Amino acid sequence: MYNLRRFILKHHFVILFILLEVISILLLARSQNFHRNSLVSSTNDVVGTVYKWSSDVGGYFRLGKTNEQLAEENAMLRRQLSVVADTASSTYFHKGDTVYEYIPARVVNNSINQANNYIIINKGKADGIERDMGVVSTEGIVGVVTDVSRHYASVLSLLHSKSFVGVRFKNSQQLASLRWNTNNYRFGMVEDIPTHVELHRGDTVLTSSYSFIFPEDMMVGTVEEPLAATTDALNKSKIRFATDFATLRHVYVIKNLYKPELDSLQAKFEKP
Amino acid sequence: MNRNVLLIIRFVALVLFQVLVVNHIRLGGYVHPYIYVIFILLLPINIPNWQLLLLGFGLGLSIDLFTGTPGLHAGATTLMAFCRPAILRLVSGHQKLENVVEPNLGQQGAIWFLRYTLCMVLVHHFALFFLESFSLHLILQVLLRIAISVPVSVFLIMIILYLFQREKKQESR
Repeated sequence: MYNLRRFILKHHFVILFILLEVISILLLARSQNFHRNSLVSSTNDVVGTVYKWSSDVGGYFRLGKTNEQLAEENAMLRRQLSVVADTASSTYFHKGDTVYEYIPARVVNNSINQANNYIIINKGKADGIERDMGVVSTEGIVGVVTDVSRHYASVLSLLHSKSFVGVRFKNSQQLASLRWNTNNYRFGMVEDIPTHVELHRGDTVLTSSYSFIFPEDMMVGTVEEPLAATTDALNKSKIRFATDFATLRHVYVIKNLYKPELDSLQAKFEKP
Repeated sequence: MNRNVLLIIRFVALVLFQVLVVNHIRLGGYVHPYIYVIFILLLPINIPNWQLLLLGFGLGLSIDLFTGTPGLHAGATTLMAFCRPAILRLVSGHQKLENVVEPNLGQQGAIWFLRYTLCMVLVHHFALFFLESFSLHLILQVLLRIAISVPVSVFLIMIILYLFQREKKQESR
């Protein structure tokens, strides 16, 4: 016992160092999971509050651009409303048809230059935000909620090595999947495109209807550069995100009102 | 002012400056300067080793809280704190540091400080970027990030030290 104590006292520097490094690496390894349940999560209210102060100050400098974006979105919504008004007299529409609810939120912290980027927004459990809800901006999709505290939520940005979204090409209706591995916040990578599908620069990429997270036909981006496959049978394509992640400020969190129903249906398939 | 109070103020100020200002610097995808390591650079020379390690770990963990990367910065700063005594011996050589309380740009000179900062930042950035990629298949990209970020970090740290420690010298006069 005495020898052990002497050994620890003598080598306490090395022992403490190894202990702290092991803790760090364990924390890091746990955070590699898609859902972060770690004690050290940036989704706590102290961190959220500090970022909110900073964002409140920075927000004043971008008011002009924000106004412009909101005005454009208003115009778009008015155009859509006029279309709905034309068809509303038919029997297809009734009040219970609302499937998606949009919860407006503000980005209080956002990174774009890490290998794995997260966004923090100023709405949380108290505002009805839950995990796995989609997040969109006025320009296109942004990410998926991964962690919620009382007043804040963290969002797994499309700019994350684990991000994965089902997409569809507007022209060909071809389904594919979107990932991010380009290290550039403007571009994403669409994978699993069959070789017979012809792609051109500027083709529109939308969300597919198979996702419960995003509504169908939300804007994702445009084809920047189709990449022909060299070895396997599936092509890839570099796309330019519609969302400008560098200036992201106002977003909407999408709540699918039928999600519990869809989930319970899918759970039945998964365990027969 | 009480030294501990000064250390706490320095800790909070550097963490906030890093996460609210420096992390938003965007010069291409490869430049990631980290200046919060100044805190470890300026710790007293004769600080007990266990305090040095715990402060390094705590500093990294605070940055991790803000960036949502638990363990990443903590691992890098702990390694940096662990290497500090050896780097101090290496950089000083025959120069004696026994009567020095805290490393100071004015006292030790710019060349000494540049070598000291460069070694410490190299250790930190190597650990950080390799932990971040968590695998070695992107080794060239990681090395490129390190090669670009280290000079930028060292440059920023030297500027900040020059601004603050020059003032301190004037006070003592």
